[in-house]
Amino acid sequence: MKIDRNEAKRIADLAHLEFDDAALERMAGEMTKILSYIDQLGEVDVTGFEAVADAEATPLRDDVPRSSVDRDAVAANAPAFSEDGHFIVPKVIGD
Amino acid sequence: MTELLNLPWHEARAAASGRELVEASLSAIDRLNPKLNAFLHVARDAGEGMPVAVKDNIVTTGMPTTCASRILGDFVSPFDATAVARLRAASCSIVGKTNLDEFAMGSSTEHSAFGPARNPWDTARVPGGSSGGSAVAVAARMVPAALGSETGGSVRQPAALCGVVGLKPTYGRVSRNGLVAFGSSVDQIGIVTKTVGECAEMLGIIAGHDEYDSTSATTPVDDYAADLDAGVRGLRFGVVREAVSQLEGEVRANFDDALAVLRGGGAVVEEVSVPTIGYAIAIYYIVANAEASANLSRFDGIRYGHRSARAKSLREVYFESRGEGFGDEVKRRIMLGTFALSSGYYDAYYGRAQAVRAKLRADFDAAFRRFDYLLTPTTPEPAFPIGAKTDDPLSMYLNDIFTAPANLVGIPAIAIPSGFSRDHLPLSLQLMSPHFTERALFRAANFFERETGYWREVPPI
Repeated sequence: MKIDRNEAKRIADLAHLEFDDAALERMAGEMTKILSYIDQLGEVDVTGFEAVADAEATPLRDDVPRSSVDRDAVAANAPAFSEDGHFIVPKVIGD
Repeated sequence: MTELLNLPWHEARAAASGRELVEASLSAIDRLNPKLNAFLHVARDAGEGMPVAVKDNIVTTGMPTTCASRILGDFVSPFDATAVARLRAASCSIVGKTNLDEFAMGSSTEHSAFGPARNPWDTARVPGGSSGGSAVAVAARMVPAALGSETGGSVRQPAALCGVVGLKPTYGRVSRNGLVAFGSSVDQIGIVTKTVGECAEMLGIIAGHDEYDSTSATTPVDDYAADLDAGVRGLRFGVVREAVSQLEGEVRANFDDALAVLRGGGAVVEEVSVPTIGYAIAIYYIVANAEASANLSRFDGIRYGHRSARAKSLREVYFESRGEGFGDEVKRRIMLGTFALSSGYYDAYYGRAQAVRAKLRADFDAAFRRFDYLLTPTTPEPAFPIGAKTDDPLSMYLNDIFTAPANLVGIPAIAIPSGFSRDHLPLSLQLMSPHFTERALFRAANFFERETGYWREVPPI
């Protein structure tokens, strides 16, 4: 599988990652090399193993109210936090 | 004081108080860490107890958790990981947080944002990774035990390269609450110690179901030390043919010597075929990275960690915070994982990798119908020089070729020192056993340790 610069850009957009042109070029080359190794998976006969979903459901605990982490501790870790208890982000709605 | 940290736990506890043990540990860290860079944070106020180091992708109150990444900024967790809370409750004292490859992505600890940790047997060489700092801390006798984490061998591989014991428990045996998620279908907290007996004791403390991790197993916690002295007579060991057929030189000779030790104890040692084992790295780099690409989407510059000072829009907060915060290897893996899950490629990559993984699991099940244990060397070579593989990601990945299968299958596996190379670098034997048979794993590993005693040799640092 060959990853070209445009494909690397498409994936970077999906992944919310920013690269400059040189880094994008390098990434495309490295991904191509790694995927050429991974492509050997195509040679395995997987007849009978296609259904991969786990049969066992994850057990859940009862959904009961309880105290959570301390709000001040959460606020202390936030890049921007308002006094009335909200994370602050740049404006997302136009004027 | 250093001699105190050279004793097995039960002897150290008899010889000194909890305060003396912590002081011995902190003074060893002060002396050695400038040369080894094993610790990213030292807890000066650790108090008293049995000193334990914790890999810095496992959260702890009262000290930072960085994942060796710039994107965490000055994050301090509001809660302790369950494994950490259980250690504290068992009179252990957390003396510091250990270096790792950023977000546990790597096999050398060179991908740390805070510089590489160094191998105490030769400081020009890597200690392995990603739990390199934990392995170094135990090997250099800065602590008697450390927590690490495993996704594809990140405890066993550095333990091998540093000449100490490394355990990956069964998937689900130890709660992952508070372990920063990487590959959720493969992640597991692991243990590094000098000796097998200490490892068994550590597992007894941290194992067990946890309501905060729904994937933690309800299988009862075993008495892991019960069979330590039971020997290996009559036990059946399968040597994985596909893994050892290409071994050569001193790694081959060392492995053959290890088999002779087991045979000498009355064990049955025969070859067994696990046909798909050679695909483990290819499967691993799709499955683990796909899961990582989803797990690491939480680092977005909004709720904690680094936010780019240049960001003026919400889109820029995401793209520039992540662009500045993540290192190259983490970006490479997010890109690979995102690709494998993207529309048009999902079936060909993620779907196919999961199908081959299911076949690998069936191959292991078949082998365990004939054998109690499966054997390989832990790594294909001893510690390599710093910088030798950083320009070639694939050659770095292939260092995990013998360890990744146990993560994909979910079984427990242990790395145990098996001697030294011509350059006097540690070599290591890996034992794997069926799900939830850690007690049997410790039994065989302890026999091997007792017969060989390699743990007694301390690195010349």
